[in-house]
This record gives sequence, structure tokens and C-alpha cells, in this order.
Amino acid sequence: MSCHDHDTAKPPGKRSGSLAIVAAGDETPAVAAGRKYWRSVEERSGSPDILKAAQREFPPGASELDGVSRRSFVQLLSASAALAGGVACQRPNHKIVPFVRRPPEVTPGNPLHFATAYSLEGFGSGLVVESHSGRPTKIEGNPDHPDTAGATNSIEQALILNLYDHNRARQIRHKGEPAAWKSLLAELATRSQTLAADGGAKLRFLVEPSASPLLADLRARILLRYPKAKFVSYSSVAAEGQSEGARLAFGRPLEVRNDLSQAAVIVSLDADFLVDGPEQIRLARQFAAARTPGANMNRLYVAEPCLTVTGGMADHRLRVRGSEITGLAQALVAELSKLPGAESLAPLAALPKSPAGPDAKWVAAVAKDLARARGKGLLIAGRRQPAAVHALVNAVNVALGNVGTTVTYWAPVLHDTSNGIESLRGLVEDIAAGSVETLIITASNPVYTAPADFKLDKLLARIPNTLYWGLYEDETAQVVTTFIPAAHPLESWGDVRGLGGRASLVQPLISPLWSGLTDADVLASLLGEGDLGSHQLVKEFWRKRAVSSGWNVGASFDGLWESWLAKGVIDKTAEMPDTSVATNPALLAGTLQPLLAQAPKGEGLELAFTVDQKVFDGRFGNNTWLQELPHPITKITWDNAILISKTTATRLGLETGDFARIEMAGGAQVTGPVYMQPGHADDTITVALGYGRSGSEEFARDVGFNVGALRSSRAPWFDRGVTLTKTSGHKKFGITQDHWSMEGREPAMETHLAEFMKEGSEFHERVEGRRAPVATIHTPVDYSTQPYKWAMSIDLNKCTGCNACVVACQSENNIPVVGRDNVRIGREMQWIRLDRYYSGEIEDPEVIHQPVACVHCETAPCEYVCPVNATVHSDEGLNEMVYNRCIGTRYCSNNCPYKARRFNFLDYHEDVPSTRKMATNPDVTVRSRGIMEKCTYCVQRIERTRIDARVEGRKIRDGEILTACQQGCPSQAIVFGSLNDPGSQVSRQHQDARRYDLLGELGTRPRTIYLARVRNPNPDLA
Amino acid sequence: MSAPATSPAGDLTTDPVDPRPFIEGTQTDQTINDTLLHHVFRGAGKGWWACFAVALAMLGCLVVALTVTLVKGIGAWGNNIPVGWAFDIINFVWWIGIGHAGTLISAILLLFQQKWRTSINRFAEAMTLFAVMCALLFPLIHTGRPWFAAYWLLPYPSVQGIWPQFKSPLVWDVFAVSTYFTISLLFWFLGLIPDLAALRDSATSKVKRTIYGMLAMGWRGSGRHWAEYKWAYLLLAGLSTPLVLSVHTIVSFDFATSVMPGWHTTIFPPYFVAGAIFSGFAMVMTWMIPARQFLGLKHVVTMRHLENMNKVMLATGMMVSYGYIMEHFIAWYSGNQYEFAQFFEVRQKGPLAPIYWLMIFCNVVTPQIFWFKRMRTSLAVMWVASILINVGMWCERFVIVVISLHRDFLPASWGSYAPTWVDICLFTGTIGLFSTLFLLFLKFVPAVAVTEVKELRHETEHDAHIEASLTAGVTGGSH
Repeated sequence: MSCHDHDTAKPPGKRSGSLAIVAAGDETPAVAAGRKYWRSVEERSGSPDILKAAQREFPPGASELDGVSRRSFVQLLSASAALAGGVACQRPNHKIVPFVRRPPEVTPGNPLHFATAYSLEGFGSGLVVESHSGRPTKIEGNPDHPDTAGATNSIEQALILNLYDHNRARQIRHKGEPAAWKSLLAELATRSQTLAADGGAKLRFLVEPSASPLLADLRARILLRYPKAKFVSYSSVAAEGQSEGARLAFGRPLEVRNDLSQAAVIVSLDADFLVDGPEQIRLARQFAAARTPGANMNRLYVAEPCLTVTGGMADHRLRVRGSEITGLAQALVAELSKLPGAESLAPLAALPKSPAGPDAKWVAAVAKDLARARGKGLLIAGRRQPAAVHALVNAVNVALGNVGTTVTYWAPVLHDTSNGIESLRGLVEDIAAGSVETLIITASNPVYTAPADFKLDKLLARIPNTLYWGLYEDETAQVVTTFIPAAHPLESWGDVRGLGGRASLVQPLISPLWSGLTDADVLASLLGEGDLGSHQLVKEFWRKRAVSSGWNVGASFDGLWESWLAKGVIDKTAEMPDTSVATNPALLAGTLQPLLAQAPKGEGLELAFTVDQKVFDGRFGNNTWLQELPHPITKITWDNAILISKTTATRLGLETGDFARIEMAGGAQVTGPVYMQPGHADDTITVALGYGRSGSEEFARDVGFNVGALRSSRAPWFDRGVTLTKTSGHKKFGITQDHWSMEGREPAMETHLAEFMKEGSEFHERVEGRRAPVATIHTPVDYSTQPYKWAMSIDLNKCTGCNACVVACQSENNIPVVGRDNVRIGREMQWIRLDRYYSGEIEDPEVIHQPVACVHCETAPCEYVCPVNATVHSDEGLNEMVYNRCIGTRYCSNNCPYKARRFNFLDYHEDVPSTRKMATNPDVTVRSRGIMEKCTYCVQRIERTRIDARVEGRKIRDGEILTACQQGCPSQAIVFGSLNDPGSQVSRQHQDARRYDLLGELGTRPRTIYLARVRNPNPDLA
Repeated sequence: MSAPATSPAGDLTTDPVDPRPFIEGTQTDQTINDTLLHHVFRGAGKGWWACFAVALAMLGCLVVALTVTLVKGIGAWGNNIPVGWAFDIINFVWWIGIGHAGTLISAILLLFQQKWRTSINRFAEAMTLFAVMCALLFPLIHTGRPWFAAYWLLPYPSVQGIWPQFKSPLVWDVFAVSTYFTISLLFWFLGLIPDLAALRDSATSKVKRTIYGMLAMGWRGSGRHWAEYKWAYLLLAGLSTPLVLSVHTIVSFDFATSVMPGWHTTIFPPYFVAGAIFSGFAMVMTWMIPARQFLGLKHVVTMRHLENMNKVMLATGMMVSYGYIMEHFIAWYSGNQYEFAQFFEVRQKGPLAPIYWLMIFCNVVTPQIFWFKRMRTSLAVMWVASILINVGMWCERFVIVVISLHRDFLPASWGSYAPTWVDICLFTGTIGLFSTLFLLFLKFVPAVAVTEVKELRHETEHDAHIEASLTAGVTGGSH
């Protein structure tokens, strides 16, 4: 595992090499922000400061205007004067202190890798972060982590950009004035006396859902000191239905874990499990692994209102309104109860039916399939579904004997069983009653995310002391009395727990860039331990824990501690599932009866809120990689939209791009642009949360529209009685793919399992025709004599279109962000284009995703047309771009049949802030204006591995090189290796019966091949 | 000997098919000098100044657009992925094509001894030169890093040890177009020398005499000068002749050697050459018709010239139409789905189809009117038609470059294209550059090859004289 150098990991206590270059003096935090620990070459000359000051004078985007902005014009005019003038002659203002003695683990030019962890929805995923000279540059999954097994999702990949975000909060503010942590601690110390006086009766904590053992300990100690204080866990998108559903079904709070490794039949009720929720990476991996065509191939049914990534992978997809899923679940239960083996569900089947008649044929077929796959089936409900649906799902899984194989139930790993909007309601009521005097908020931006009817911003103003800890001075920061800037997870010490309860340590890769603090620091400050620092807090905690658990600490705890840090996982902390679960359907039926009556009713359209895969609940709004990421399904960048079906759009006289007003029965209204989404349920509107931010983040601001005003705590996910009216104006989205049809060309091949299993079927003929080399008058170059013949394969059966590879590639290869206006005119730079095609009915399409990057043609059309030899072939078959030589005729791109090349039309690195530049990978050239670029097969990784292999006097092993996309891919759809090694995985893939060459008929002889997708439809539904 | 003096020389012709003269009215060397040469020394008229002001304003656009392009980068244009080339290459090909008429008229018609070329060749050659100058601008500035493109495209022994990639048609372009420009410049200048000498000899001030004198390169009009001059002229004509075919053939290789549907076509070389001549003649017409009006050239650029040019346009227009038909036929006949979709779906029904249909109207329908003599001889009709053909040929390049690129193989990579103001400014600007140079040419250099017209007048007079005496001999004198 080349990218996970445990052996060379530094002594973990030493905070990595980030302090390698330390400035002398200069302690004023506000002014020195961004340079406390870093002295770049640009900074030495002093000129970026001047430029930066100039940039600040104009609003963001001023430089995006067409033509030459006044500023660049003046810059040019003054350039000669500046060159002639003193800038170049100035001596550096700051001294650079190099290592006096180089730490043994640091070899200049070689990156180090450190294991750490990150938690988004309370559960931690293991990461391995690459660090160059103390700068973290690239995030990978930790292969030793049980849940993620080395993969990441797009958000985790993009975290690195948040770390270096120059919009991050830098300054503690107390009552509007800058303050120091020490003076704040002093004040907190006095206040804690007062608070402790009445047992903390008026003290409340609003925290992010978490499973952190350290935070649990701090909470426990705080509650000892302030017994009447209350902790409220809150996430606006928490799966409250799931925890409540488990409580209803089993009578006690349990957490649900799914396992697809043995699942033969998967039925998803509005669950986008492949890209949503804390289990997504593991589920994607397990799902894809079981997609290998054959007798054991799984089958996926999805019922959902709006087409999702999971819906796109479905063998059968049913579009239903979100609130009608309840009825569907009931129908499914009723159908199942008629089948042998699931009769125990009969009491539930007798419940009064919810309105709307789901597709009876579909339900019958699904029920039959689920019952057939007894013990190997799985019913999953999504986070948006109410507790009743989750309860029914649990009952079905228990009845079908799926517990233990495809689903397990666990005693809660999270601190709180309720951590969503219902949990916030209690706090809101307390505040309204005036019983809160001090509120400490570490939950992410609750003012923005809380339902509109809570009016949290107004309520917070009533509390005398509000303290908010956040990464940005966002909407919440604007209404609190005290604001504390958060340290980024890559700057923090801490711990998390995975889905199976296994703890991982969070260790910093770099000292806080802007004197940020951790949430542990903030909580500890109420215990008078705010000055200990989170490192000591977490280490001391685990020392006590090790001793109290009787673990073999050995000679010193440090050795054990360092082994945990190196591995990234504390194995002994794993827990076991609760195997004694049982349901009583009759009892459950009684409980569910009143709940089912509460289902949303009413005429008019239904409004559905959805969690965005890019900005999540809005917290990643300032992450430009994520904002510019094409949405996996709509391919919209830099925006959200009102998604409706074509039928509904036609009925309302709307078209894609039209602005429309959503009006709730209560009068709340929001205007946004419409996008017609194939496969969307009729009479339903889907809007993504997390957009239209108004905090201090410059990129997040005014991107998309905020639907928060429409969301009420009564109906946080689905609401009825909505009207949609066309208003004036038209929006041109920044969409990366306008054309959804394959035009009969079949770039992405697919077939059905039956067809695939039949020898000599029409499918096999077609595939055969698409892999035979095209006759040529030239003698093709023989690459078999080379030590390596690099090639890739992409399995369309496994690719879910989740986007992880796109961000991984962007991060690894220093790919710039271009902004919405440039995306609109087709200038996005991501090297991987995730092509998404629809086929079949526009209202009920089948979806197929196809990642296309440079396929490294052996006879590449781009190469012979370049007039200056800037794109040439390597001996090992890489189609190489020589950036230095490129003059930018764009002829290569014109002649590329795959259109896999990207051109730097403008200087996209021009306005990049200095801190942001720290995220660049030093192994990859930053391309200037006027240069063509494209996928290199991560040539820098090949060469680095080659060096390692040469040093050890051996050949590169198969699987030793992972390209960035391959490493990030949760479903392991991408394989890279050498075709000259007949046993390599990629060689086997190239021999696969599903292998075909994209556009191979042009004689390009691509090295990246595709494996056709095989769908596994139910013959009963044919 | 009195017959020639009394009968107007221009009325006589040796052409039995078309008896109309190439020079109208009674002309002597003196009248030719007055009308064709001496306008150089007269002050420019208001009309000229007005035109020049407009041309300069348009040239200003070019300066602005070039500055923006160099400062901001290609991003100032509408180009994108997949449409990597757009206005830049459209304009390049369009201007190069326009240049072709000049070379054809000067060289090929000279070799074929077509006397009617005499009055228009200078005009057309100048047009070639200026058009090629406009065209040359684009290959350079359309690159992402023109400061390297300026010399990395040339095969010089570099310390980097890297040569240009000779497999690339863009390198061929460099040779083809630079050769073309050099030969055209020499050819034009050589033809000017006797006229420059005549200007020197009749110059009204010392400054003018010195300038024209230097440009005349010591021309004295001796028999030896004439003999060498005629040989040199003929040789350059011989050199230029293959260029008429080669330049646009090579330009067409930029497209034909690629794999793109709509580009990958063997018919491109002849079809490009025909199109070039088509558009070149149209451009000559567009300028010639007003010029002969306002510069008083009606007696040397006669209706017969114009009609001949219209016939050439009809012929080349038919060739271009044949090219279109064959492209479509092959797209269907080859059975290649990408080709078929490009020609029958994307071009005819796609989002940019109006440009395709405008091209068909201008290039296929418009020239058909020249089947009718009334149309061929109507100044208004031919002027409008020539402009339409210019528009049509620009659209043709748009269709080839942009429409082919914007929808190629993989539907997911399809894009769209819209020019920015910089693109439009740049195009307008090159028209400004062309117009400015052309107006300066009209002002400071004889727009018609005076020497050659005089020669023609003498020749026809001589022929008429012989014919007259022969007729007199046979019939016993009809006068």
C-alpha cells in the first residue's frame, strides 16, 4: 500500500512536519492570518500582499467580466513600471528558519502519509492524508478502516479545499469585538461559577450528532458539574425516522446497519444508499461487488420520487411521490403476508391503507422476489421516510429472516438517539420559554438549517449568552454574542467512532492556519480545561480508557498511542450487533395505526426536500470543487433547481430554466429556476437544501436559492398543498451535459443478464464487434517488449456515477475551478467527464453512467495533429502532454473523438489566494493559460512507484499503483495496471466477456476499455 | 494610317464570340494616364476620406480585440470544448479563400493569355495580399501561447532539439501560407514597378518623386528591362499557378486529415479550391463595382469584365454545390452513422441549422441567377449576389468548423457555440484592416495596371489596324 506509509509515519505526538518552516516573531493573529506558519516564495517578495489588497477593493467576480477588466489593464500598464521599480530589489522581510537537524522521517520531495478520521453525520470514516513538506495535499480513504476500506466520497476528497479556504473564520469575536482565547477563557471561568450555582439549569448545548468517545467523556463531566444542563444533538438532515422506526419495531433505540455483501434482492424505499448516509461507501462497495454478472448477481428495486444515483442503478425503478412510499410499504407488507414464510406480517397487512394505489404488479413482483430471497433480501428505507415506514421495513426484514445477514441492529453508537429536528424542537421550546441563558453551539450553522417555523435567528437573539463554534462566520455566527473559529478536522486532535463502534483518532496534519480551536476545546473550557489543548485532552482520555479497559499498555502508553495513530483505527473498541431483536407485528400494528393517519394529505403539488450530494446541508457551500461538480444526475453545477417531471412542467407551462414561485399553503414562498428531470414523479417538486447561503463565505453566497423558508418542522421532508407558478425570467444553468440521449450510438453498452448468460447471443456478437482491432495500413507499435503496458478498465456495472473519482482527480492533478459562467459555455476543467445517458421513456428512463477521461489511444488522433510535438506517446503507452511545449492550437482537442481534453482558456490560477495554493500537489505541474491538459493516468504516481521499485530492484507489482480515481472509487469500478503482466487484474478485465472499446472502430486502440453494464431485471416485470 | 485615329481603338476586337471591347471609348496613352495614374497626385476626395474613416474605426476594433485576446487569453472568445476552433479558423480560411481570386486572375489567366485580366489583375492581386495578411493574423493569435507559436512552428535548429511535427497539417499550413504570401507580394510588386516608374516620372513634388523613385527600383523602361521584366513576370506567374491549388488544398488538410465527422472527407481539397475562387471572385466584385464607379474606371473595367467574372462565379459555384452533394452522398453511401448524423441531422436539423441553410441559399441558389444574361449584366444584381456569396462562403466555413465540432461522436460531449463581442470585433477588425489597406492602395498606387492597359490598347489598336487594312484590301475599302 504505497500511499499509506505506516512505517515512515512520524512520531505522532510531534504534529507532523507542518511546523517544519516556522516564522520567527509575528504573533498578531488577525494580521498574520494565513502566514503564521508558512512563508512562501511569493510572500517574500511582498507583492502578493499588494495584489491581494487590490483584489479586495473589488467585489468577487469583478475579474470574471468579459474582456479586459480595468484592473488587469492597469496591472499591465503598471507591470513595466513595477519591474523597473523596487519590487524585485526588495529583500525578504521575514527570516526563514530551516531545519537545523532534519527529522529522520522527512525526505525532501517525498510525501508522508498520516492516518486520521473525519465524521460528517456522527460516524467517522478513516482517512489517509498525503502531506508534502508539512502541507496536507490529498485525502484518501484508510484501507485499514473497516467501513471505508480505502475509498472516499466526493465530499471527503474535497475537504482539503475547506482547510485552505481563505474565507474561513480567523478571529474570536466576543460581543462584536476581537478577543483572545485566554481572555475568553477567563470570562468563561467566571461565568461557569454562576452557571454551576443553579446546576446549569439555564445552560444548553446544541451539538453536532457525534459518537466521539472524547466528547462523550466531556459531556458526562459537564453534566456532573452542571447536572441540569442539557445537550441537544442536531442535524437538519438526520435520519430521525430510522431511529424512531427501530424504537417502534423493537421497543428500544437501535441503530440500523445494512450489509449488501450477501444481499440478493435489495428493495430501496426512497433510500439513496449508494451516495447518501454514513454507510454509503461500504454499501457502494458491497453493492458493486455483487454486481458481477452471474447466478449470484443481486437485483435492485428502487421506489423514489426523484431520480437518484441509487435509482439510476436500479434494475426496476418505480417513481412515486415521497409521501406515497408509506402506502407502497404497506402494500408490500400486505403482499408479503400472503406469501409463505412471511405470514407473521398479517397483522400489519390489516392496517388501514394509505391513499394512492401503488403499482400492484410491481409490488407483487417485488414481494415475491423478496420472499424468494429469504435471508438474503433487504428492504431499506431512506432518511426522509417517516418512522412508520422504517418500522414496517424492520418488521419485514425480521419476518424474512434477513437480520444477521443483510441487516443488523446495534445499540446506539451515537451519543443521542434523537438528533434531528425533533430534538431541536425541545431546545426551541426552552428558549421560547426563556429558560436558556447560555447556549453553546457546536452544531453546524443551525440558524441556516433550522426549519423556518422555529425562527431560530430571532430566538437566539433573546439569549444573553450565545457561543458559536464554526468554521466560517456563517448565518449563525452573525447572531451570536461570542464566535470561536473552528479548527478544520485536518488541524484538529480528536476521535470518532465508525459504524461498528470502532474508534479512530483524528490527528492534525498541520497546525491551525488561523488559530482555530476544536469542539473539545470549547466544551473543556466549561470544565476549566480550555487551555489544555485538544491533544492533551484526547490523549489523556485514551490513556485512562486504556488503563480502565485493562488493555495491555506495555512499557509506556506512547507506544500504544502511536500504533493507533499509525493504523488509524483502535481495534479493541469494536462492538457487536444486538442479536436479540424481535418484533411483535400485532403490537406494532397498534402503534402504527395513529402514525399512519398522520401521513401528509391535501391537494396540490407535493414538495420534497433533498440532501445535496455536493454542499450537504449547506456546510460545503464554499467548497468550489464541490460547487463546480456536476450533480450526478442533473449535471448542474453551481446551482440547485426546482426539479419537476416533464408532465408536470407541461401542465404548468414551465420549461427548464424558467423561474417559478413555490408557494406553501401557509404563505411562505421561494422563487427558483425549474429543471425538468426525467424519471421524476408527477405532481411533486424536489428542491435541494443547502443553497442560497448568506454567510460570509464568498463562493457560497448567492449560489442557488434557499428553500429554508419553505421547510417546517411539521413536514421537514414532504409537504402537500404547494403551488408552483411561473414568474418572469430565465436561467441558463451551468450544465456540463446538455444531451441525454445516446442517439442510437451506444457509447455505454448494456444488456440484460439473460442475454449475457446466453452463449453466442446478440450481445456477445455486438461486444465482439467492438473489440476487434481495426485493420490498418500501419504496423502497430509492439508494446509487449516494454516492461509495462499501462491500461485501465472501467466497469459500467459498478460505476454509480457518484463523482468521487472526479474530485479525487481534481485534487490529485491540481485541476482549476472555472466558475459557473465558464461551465455554461463548456469550459469546465475536470479531467473525468461522467457521462450520464437516459434511455427508454423520458418519464421512466433507464440510466447509465460512463466516466470518460483520456483513454490513452495507442494510435492517438490527438498526437499527429499537434504541430509542435506537445502530445506524444511514451514507450509504455501513455499519451503524454508536454505542458511546456504546448502552444495551445486546440487541434488535438478538436481531433479527439472522446473530447477528453481540457483547455486553459483563461488563467484559472490567477486569482487563487495564497493559502489555496498550499493545496496543490507539488508532483503535478500547475498549468498556465493557453495550455491543453487531460488525464495522464496519474503519471506522477507511476513514476513515484517506479522509483520505489527501482530502489528495491524489482518490478512494479500489480495493484501497487492506484490512480487517484481508482483509489477514490467507492465501488471499485476502475482498475489500472500493466497489460504485459498476464496475471494483472487489468489484463483479466481486458479479457472479460463484457469488454468493449469505446469508439474503437475509429482505429484508436484505446488503453482504457469499458465493461458493459448488465441489468438484472425480474422476468415477472418484463 | 488615318483609320485608327478616326475609329475608336476600343471598339475593335479580335474576339469573334464576344465583340465587346475591353477598353471603352477613345483612349490614348494620355487619357489612360489621366484617369488611371494621376489620381495618385490629386487630393483625396471626401468620399475616400469618409470610407477611410470607417475603415480606420473598424481597424480600431481589431486593435482592441487583439489587445483583449493577448491580455486575457483565448477565453475572451466564445471557443470552448468541444468547439476548439471557431471564428478564428473560420476567418482564417475565409480570408485565405478570398485571396485566391487575385492569384487566379494574375497568374493562371496570364498563362492562358486571357486579355480581360489586364484591367482587374492589379486590383485582385492587392486583394490577395491584403486578404492573406488578414488571414495570417489568425493562425498566430488563435494559439494559447502566441509568443511561442510565433517561432516553434518554424523548423529552426533549436537548442531544445525539437522540430515541428511534420505530420501535422498546421505545420504544412505554415509553409503553404508563408510561401503564398511571399510569392503574391513579389508578383504584385513586380507588376507595379513600371507604373511606379511612371508615377516617379510624372510626380508633382520632390518628396513624391523620391519615394516613387525608390519604389521603382531604377526602372528606366529600356528594352532590356522590359525583356527581363516579362520573363520574371512569367516565371512568378508560373510559380503562383500551383499555389492557387496548393494553398487551399493544404488548408483543407487541416480538416480532411482529422477523424471528425464532417471533416474527414477526401473531397475537401478540390472543393476548398473551388470555394476559394468562388469567394475570391465574389470579393473582387464587391469592391470592383463601387471602385469603377467612384474612381472612374468604367472605361477599363467594362461590363464584359464583370460578366466574365460572373461566369467564373457561376462555374465555381456549381463546383462548390457539387462538393456539397458529394459530401452528403458519401455520408449516406459510407453507411457511417457518425457521418450520416453530421450531414443529415446535425447540419440540417441541429440548433445551428439556420447557418447551414443560409449557406445553401447563398452558395447554391444565388449563383444560379447568372445563367441569365440580364442578371449577369445588372450591376445591382451582381453586387448583391457577390455579397451574398461572401456571406455564404463564411457560413460554409462556420458549418465546417463549428457545426462539425459541436456535435461529434459522444453525445454527452456535445456542446454549443456563441461568439463573444471580441470574436465579432476581431472579424470586423480584419475587415477594417483589409479596407484600410485597400483604400491606401487605391489612393497611392494605380489600381489598374496602367502599363498593361496601355499595352492592351496598343495591341488591340494594332490588331484593328491590320484587320482594317485587310478588310480594305479585300473589299476595296469600306471607309
